[in-house]
Amino acid sequence: MANGPEIYTITIRKRRWWAWTVAALWLMAELLFLQTAMGSMIEGEYRAATISWIVAAVFLAAGLVAWLGPHRPRKPENAQP
Amino acid sequence: MVVAKQNRTGRRAFLKAGGLVAAAGALTSMCVPTPGGGATHVHAHKRAWWIKSVNRPTLGETTPNFTRFSGRDMFALYPELKNQHDGEGSFEAEMKSGEKRAAQAMNERKPGFTLPDLQLTGGAWTLMHSTKPGSGLLSWTRVSVRTPAELGTARHTAPPQEMANLVKAAARLYGAGLVGISPMNEAYVNLKQPGDDAHQPPKDIVFEDVEVPAVTGTQFVIPMKMKWAVTIAIPMDLDLLSRAPTALGDAASALGYSHSVFVVASLAEFIRGLGYQAIPMVNDTAQSIPFAIDAGIGELSRLNKLVTPEFGPAVRLCKVFTDLPMACDKPVDFGLVDFCRHCKKCAEACPSRALSFDDEPSFKIVGPWNNPGHKTWFEDSYKCFQYWQKSNSACAICLTSCPYSKGDQAWIHEGVKAAASTVPVADAAFRAMDDAFGYGKQRAPEDWWNKEQLSGRKG
Repeated sequence: MANGPEIYTITIRKRRWWAWTVAALWLMAELLFLQTAMGSMIEGEYRAATISWIVAAVFLAAGLVAWLGPHRPRKPENAQP
Repeated sequence: MVVAKQNRTGRRAFLKAGGLVAAAGALTSMCVPTPGGGATHVHAHKRAWWIKSVNRPTLGETTPNFTRFSGRDMFALYPELKNQHDGEGSFEAEMKSGEKRAAQAMNERKPGFTLPDLQLTGGAWTLMHSTKPGSGLLSWTRVSVRTPAELGTARHTAPPQEMANLVKAAARLYGAGLVGISPMNEAYVNLKQPGDDAHQPPKDIVFEDVEVPAVTGTQFVIPMKMKWAVTIAIPMDLDLLSRAPTALGDAASALGYSHSVFVVASLAEFIRGLGYQAIPMVNDTAQSIPFAIDAGIGELSRLNKLVTPEFGPAVRLCKVFTDLPMACDKPVDFGLVDFCRHCKKCAEACPSRALSFDDEPSFKIVGPWNNPGHKTWFEDSYKCFQYWQKSNSACAICLTSCPYSKGDQAWIHEGVKAAASTVPVADAAFRAMDDAFGYGKQRAPEDWWNKEQLSGRKG
């Protein structure tokens, strides 16, 4: 085990405005799928509820991967070619 | 080094702008004028933005060939039915015969025909079966309310829009799901109907220049000054209706009828209490559907029945004629006719193949049970009625199969209806999605008693 100082790298992502737009749309869609799933359960429409739960789960996983997954650092704006 | 300031929208500014847009949208939606709206102290009931008021009905508009019809003439058209009841071709005879067949189904232990199932329906019929047109709760004259004169005051007067809002508010309190007002159209009023005694010949329904409505030995007399019709839609329990075709499923219709009696009887007394005349009716006296179309409650559909944007076709209609001056509503267009052209789900679901598969509505009637003179998808009532006899029930599968018959819990239904109203090219896709999600299927009657009962439109 190394005795030297441990080095951590903190990456701060500055997301662009359109990333927030897509995230907001994704959140609204996710909430709609969840509401449809729960509403369909109450209505006794179990097939509709099952499909909605599955879509909501897949959409949630895809959204989390896209949001938290590896990203390509942006090229500095004042970088020289 | 000087770095030029970038003209880029930051997250904070973006979220702020989004919030402002949302707030502006909410305020705008509150200010949009809606059909039947008016600046009175009783607020008009708001309908969804995608239900548009139009000057003429999208379907079902009558032509000069449309004449007064007699609703109960249908049995005279069926010699087979007459023979089944020892020559007594009447609705009452058929009802009794239906009860016997249902009892037989109970003894054969058919699902949905247990004794509790039958008696649930029997109980639900109570109010409807305890009254007749022109008598009891459906009396054409005052039942118990005190008149303004008895209270030492003059009749209530107000601008027509305010009167309309008052009547609609009262109707909703009494249990109306939807309520609309249209001008009187004598062509929609039946020619005849039975009186108290089913063994006596039907009485004529006439319009006369009299002050008060009257029921005589041979006539039902409607005052000519009754120039307004209030039409009401009573939503039926969708979960119960989806147990059709069984005695259990019939309870939804029966309860709808009994609720109708309560609502129109209460509303008629309210109007009389304001100092005006009122005639309450359910299916009797006049055709409900054309009045409902004129009053903007819904549109005529492939079922040849009314489909409402809020409850689909799963409603019972009833109405009150009155001389109380009110502002009238307009017909509505929510894209139903286009949707029906593509959908055809009801026609496919109908076990007796009584509904039309034609792409376009027409003036061509199917049989003498249809009233000619208007354009629609005419149905084969005889096939429908034969299935009633075969299934020992009043069926109603078409009502639950319609994609507009949905519960009120999942918000997405409202979005799909709005999209169908505004983007008709997607109608076929919506129909396909409706199938894929499993909507419109009948449910097993056995588990209705065991499940935790859902109230209202949840199911």
